[in-house]
Amino acid sequence: MKKVLLASLMLSAAVVFSAPAQAVDSTGCGLGSMAWRGQSGIIPQLAAVTTNGTFGTQTFGITFGTSGCDPNGRVTGGTQKMVLAFLENNLEQFAMDAAAGQGETLTTLAGIMNMDEKTVAEKTYQNFAVLFPNENVDAVDVTLKFYQIMKA
Amino acid sequence: MNGHGWQFSRVCLYQNGQTLMKKIVLAVGFCFGLCRTAFAADTLADLPEWLALGHYQKGWFGYEGTIGSDNFYVSPEGKNNPLKELEATVTLFQSDDVEKKCLFPARYMFLKKHGLVSTPFPSCAEFEQFKEDLQPAGMTLLFTDAYMNNSSSLFGHTLLRVDTARKGTQLLAHGINYGAWTQGYENSFLYAVYGLAGFYPGGYTVKPYYDIINTYNNIENRDIWEYNLNLTSEELDLFVAHIWEVGQTTTPYYFFTQNCSYMLMELFDAVRPELNLAAGFKGQTIPLDTIKAVNAREGLVKSVNYRPSRQRKIRYRIKQMNERQYDAFLDAITLDLTETQNLPEDEKADVLETAYQYVQYQYVAGDLALKDYRQKSFQLLRARNQAAAGQKFDELKEGQNPVLSHDSMMVSLGVGVQNGDVFEQLSFRPAYHLVTDRGYGFLSGAEIDFLDVSFRHYDKHDKYVLDKLNVLQLSSFSPINAVFQAMSYRIGLDVSRQINPKSEDEGYVLNGNVGGGGTFALSDHFWFYGLSSVEAAYGGFLPNNQWFGAGLAAGMIVSFEKAALQAEVKKVFATDKIGSALKWHLTADYYFSRNQALETIFTYTQNYGKNQNEVLVRLKQYF
Repeated sequence: MKKVLLASLMLSAAVVFSAPAQAVDSTGCGLGSMAWRGQSGIIPQLAAVTTNGTFGTQTFGITFGTSGCDPNGRVTGGTQKMVLAFLENNLEQFAMDAAAGQGETLTTLAGIMNMDEKTVAEKTYQNFAVLFPNENVDAVDVTLKFYQIMKA
Repeated sequence: MNGHGWQFSRVCLYQNGQTLMKKIVLAVGFCFGLCRTAFAADTLADLPEWLALGHYQKGWFGYEGTIGSDNFYVSPEGKNNPLKELEATVTLFQSDDVEKKCLFPARYMFLKKHGLVSTPFPSCAEFEQFKEDLQPAGMTLLFTDAYMNNSSSLFGHTLLRVDTARKGTQLLAHGINYGAWTQGYENSFLYAVYGLAGFYPGGYTVKPYYDIINTYNNIENRDIWEYNLNLTSEELDLFVAHIWEVGQTTTPYYFFTQNCSYMLMELFDAVRPELNLAAGFKGQTIPLDTIKAVNAREGLVKSVNYRPSRQRKIRYRIKQMNERQYDAFLDAITLDLTETQNLPEDEKADVLETAYQYVQYQYVAGDLALKDYRQKSFQLLRARNQAAAGQKFDELKEGQNPVLSHDSMMVSLGVGVQNGDVFEQLSFRPAYHLVTDRGYGFLSGAEIDFLDVSFRHYDKHDKYVLDKLNVLQLSSFSPINAVFQAMSYRIGLDVSRQINPKSEDEGYVLNGNVGGGGTFALSDHFWFYGLSSVEAAYGGFLPNNQWFGAGLAAGMIVSFEKAALQAEVKKVFATDKIGSALKWHLTADYYFSRNQALETIFTYTQNYGKNQNEVLVRLKQYF
């Protein structure tokens, strides 16, 4: 009994000592590995979040994925690659901003495309139904449509 | 001086003694070039700039470099000898080893500044690509607040952001994170032990800032504070170059000392040695303390920006809803949009946008299946897109800056009466916060009470005693409402002096308890909670040495800007009579200032049919 209590005392102390630690996920980019971090916690609230690695690209509604992400974890490449990478990782926020016709993701995309922010906002807002025709669109569809709309 | 001079000469000879030509050059040019370098290096190696670039910290046996990777130190003795390291670095830049030279762009800047190198920095494709991707425009220190669901994030986290000059927004900037590579060990029993013992390697990762935002704001629901730094363009170049240098290294990660926040302090020092930040964190490094230290350096932080968590944004939006909007919102999140469609045209967008954010929150929390999530998201957004009028709600822009919170450590002095005996009490707590402490800047309802120790002197028998060592208490009170349902919990482990009311003996008892329950908020200021718990106690003083039990507690937390109060009643049903007790507890605090408070604690216990009571009044000083 004494040993068990001593051990538990040491363990609790260790848990606290470990407090300022912050684990890095070594799988690199994407949110998949980050999502699992919660499992090490007191209440694994995030345990139910699944990383879906079977999709070729990010589909609407999957925040977590590693596709299309630069292996160095950096914003890189030409305009089209950057737009795709950005949309893959920010699709939900973009969908929201597109539906409302304003927001940080639209400003960012305007920057990447070197376009006027207002034009980008208006065009995405008016073409929301084209960008998101149904709930199963993926980032590649959205990127291609986004390009078509911006060029029109 | 002499010894150093000799050592450097030896390096010179070694390096230049390879060819006859060089020998001649050495002999002739001895007092023109190389010798001057030797003299310069001797004094330059003691410069704070060089010491900080090499991450040297002065220990009991001289200098020691913090960085663990062998390849960070060019000289085999470089980890403990800044001079030899400088000599070896000078030699490196005289050599043809481009690959190795490319690892040290910041050291090159130092050598260049002090005339120790005359050749240009080589062309390094990877380093150039790094700078091209980052397009540095500034630096920002980031603080993410506590995450009570992960023991490694209880104290929050710090990381760096290299601001970008790219067109658009800082979403395209990059976060630089120092952390432990714990992959595969997260669920291990030894997780914490490994962390304490420095078994995990610590290393750096780079990620786009939008990824950081997603992780902290949207997945873990933590606020991000951005402290934009005031750096010259030379300092910025040096910072980025030095990140490149350390970015390739690993160092044993000590969770409590050489952790994420500590390493950032060494990075700051490397860029501006007079900041002398790392020296202030020899004992423990709490992330919030490092943020405060950086903010305390004059002129270092030029502006502050707040990025609230998704949950906080949703709460703020809900607060702005009128009654019919709130009703429509509750229906909208179950995909019944009838009420929303009946709203006045200019009230629809806010409801639909909030509902969409809430659905995302639910999905991440695991409360929603992917299929439902997609369907709901899509329909809410389509309806939002069709709403004729736009957003009217304010976005949450202001928060309680953690820099202005009370400090981490606390000492207190007080007097009290226990069952008629007068006593004086001295307490010390190295970390961190209780709900009765001034709440400004802390996560509401979150408690970490660590190694909180109290000593007492009793007047009647003139005796000094250790009264209590609170090894650890962790609590998270999180109000439940129709929208958010998080569990509240409390875990505690302490060693306490206890009086046996029957025999009037006293002794020490190790107490442990784990409890869970719910919290209900009447308003921001009045919270009520209920917890059920399992309890255990052990100690030679106890009849049968130990007892086990179950507890039921009900309490109230009242908090205002200047004062707070916690009242609780707890009934414990135990295997031994001495454990079975009814306890009343009240703590009331009044804050004089950020770091000073007056506290009154009243406890009343019924045990063995006898009553015990205690009142303590104490002054608390945080530091």
